[in-house]
Amino acid sequence: MKNDLNAFVAADPSKCIGCRVCEIACAVAHLDKTVKTVGSLNAPLLPRLYLVKTPETTMPVQCRHCEDAPCVKSCPVSAINRRDNKIMMAEQRCIGCKSCLLACPFGAIELIAVCPDDRSRDYNVVASKCDLCSGKLNGPACVAACPSQALRYVNIAEERKCRQLHAATKAGNFIKEFRAREG
Amino acid sequence: MKHSLIKIDDELCTGCRRCAAVCPVDAIEGKQGQPQMIHSDKCVMCGQCVQICSGYASLFEEYETPRDQKMRERHMPPAVNEPLFAAYHTGDYPKVKAVLDNQNAYTMVQCAPAVRVAIAEEFGLPLGSLVPGKLAAALRRVGFSRVYDTNFAADLTIMEEGAELVQRLTKGGTLPMFTSCCPAWVTFIETRYPELVKHLSSCKSPQQMAGTMFKTYGAQLDGVTADQVYSVAVMPCTCKKFEAERPEMNSSGYQDVDAVLTTRELAYLIKEAGIDFHSLPEESFDNPLGIYSGAGTIFGVTGGVMEAAIRTAYEMITSKKLDNIELIQVRGSQGRRQIVLDLGTMKLKTVVVSGLKHAVPILENLKKGIADFHFMEVMTCPAGCVSGGGQPKMLLPVDCLASHQRRTASTYQHDAELLVRKSHDNPAIKAIYQEFLGEPLGHKSHKLLHTHYHVSHPDH
Ligand code: SF4
Ligand code: SF4
Repeated sequence: MKNDLNAFVAADPSKCIGCRVCEIACAVAHLDKTVKTVGSLNAPLLPRLYLVKTPETTMPVQCRHCEDAPCVKSCPVSAINRRDNKIMMAEQRCIGCKSCLLACPFGAIELIAVCPDDRSRDYNVVASKCDLCSGKLNGPACVAACPSQALRYVNIAEERKCRQLHAATKAGNFIKEFRAREG
Repeated sequence: MKHSLIKIDDELCTGCRRCAAVCPVDAIEGKQGQPQMIHSDKCVMCGQCVQICSGYASLFEEYETPRDQKMRERHMPPAVNEPLFAAYHTGDYPKVKAVLDNQNAYTMVQCAPAVRVAIAEEFGLPLGSLVPGKLAAALRRVGFSRVYDTNFAADLTIMEEGAELVQRLTKGGTLPMFTSCCPAWVTFIETRYPELVKHLSSCKSPQQMAGTMFKTYGAQLDGVTADQVYSVAVMPCTCKKFEAERPEMNSSGYQDVDAVLTTRELAYLIKEAGIDFHSLPEESFDNPLGIYSGAGTIFGVTGGVMEAAIRTAYEMITSKKLDNIELIQVRGSQGRRQIVLDLGTMKLKTVVVSGLKHAVPILENLKKGIADFHFMEVMTCPAGCVSGGGQPKMLLPVDCLASHQRRTASTYQHDAELLVRKSHDNPAIKAIYQEFLGEPLGHKSHKLLHTHYHVSHPDH
């Protein structure tokens, strides 16, 4: 069977320091022009991952790109689809009904206001979520920006290989040691 | 009020402690994950914590204090749209705005060298864009009566500081001598190494020299009195606000610099006035207190004061022309650079330090009596004033290095493009000595341009 599970970004709460750089990097990556300084930013920051802080943990939560994605199923107008191993939101089709927001077990979906152009006063409220920075050269912006390497782009096939290798090495070493001890 | 300048909003602070990691004096205290506190006795107000902080007010969260109240507490104009961050500085924006709105006010403004290589970033231009002409035009459009320049005063500083160094070398005086342009560095010496205060040059910083000159010479030129002049400085630095309010900074009989805007605050002012920065024409700074040399402009980068001083001191001491004026050896990004200059009769040993932490081992040695140099430049911020706490803040910390490099490159480019590149060749400097000051270290210069730094801070 061809393994083509969706990739996603995962956070390691033991490394996350809660600085929110990932949120800013995400928001900046999704602006339609390049903005470098705070002062030249003329729009609110709208990230697609959300730092969550509880007394026990601090880490950002974002879309897992579920295989059997409840958001896809819940959308009455088929604005959410699976494309190129990602769950993608077609904002132009979204009617802002919030079904996906209710369906998502991670709270990874937000409803945001978008203006059709800079000068327009009316706006549409649409769903927005992590798109793994699709179309961006350097991969997910949040992963690149994290100062403590708490975020990881998880490629399922590689991940499994890696874990299997790790397990095999460990087991192998144990058996070697065991044999040596037994003489 | 010394320590109310740099603050952390505990509603927004996530306790990541990135600020604590950049603070050069370990002034930020708190537990990981808890809102941080700034220890006011230690803080030197450099604003580096303001630059690094990415804890911002998210639209998706609710805060007890509404946004407009936060903006008022930060002295920001209400129309500003940008996100608010946990670490911030309060400002002089409302004060300056009120004065500019008053038609009768006679205002003089100065603009630090590092502002012209950064302000355009606040209007979406590429990092480090060099815009002295647009800057002068913008200052005029927002309503300042006289658009002068700190660079002029930087040239003046070189004349005084160069003469002071020569005097200490030849006639005796405390050596090694330290530069005194960086107020965070001065504050650091005063509070942590009071026994070394005598090593500081007695020269005021260019900001303060400019302020004094505006209210004396400048006022005289325009036929007004010192008390009629409202003097504003635009600075890349947060600590300059503190410096301006020091009680000893009143040689004109009044507070020499009435208000200090950071580069960011000037951008607010330009935006509020509805000025389209992009379409501004190229204008020049006003005469004579706005005329400057290349040496004056490189004050904005680490090593710049040293390079400018050497360009003048070499010619003062040897009476020979310095041919190779680009002193590549003092440029660069390492925390500590050394250069030995052959002056014929002696070898002048100099040290350039950027980042306060790099100065500490040198000061510790000096306390033990070990010093192998005559003159040291120290800048608190990592790349000098171009990286100051009041400069445009990068949305992403990864862009900081690029912004520092491009602002530095533009500063050197500006120097290279200017016709006059040595402070003592600046015609306006020659004129001010002839017409007003007399000579460097003379009676009048001493009274107006020098100061005595206190061993312990007055409000301690
Ligand atoms: S960098 Fe900002 S959010 Fe992080 S601890 Fe410092 S003030 Fe708080
Ligand atoms: S302003 Fe500078 S000295 Fe003060 S807390 Fe911030 S980084 Fe430290």
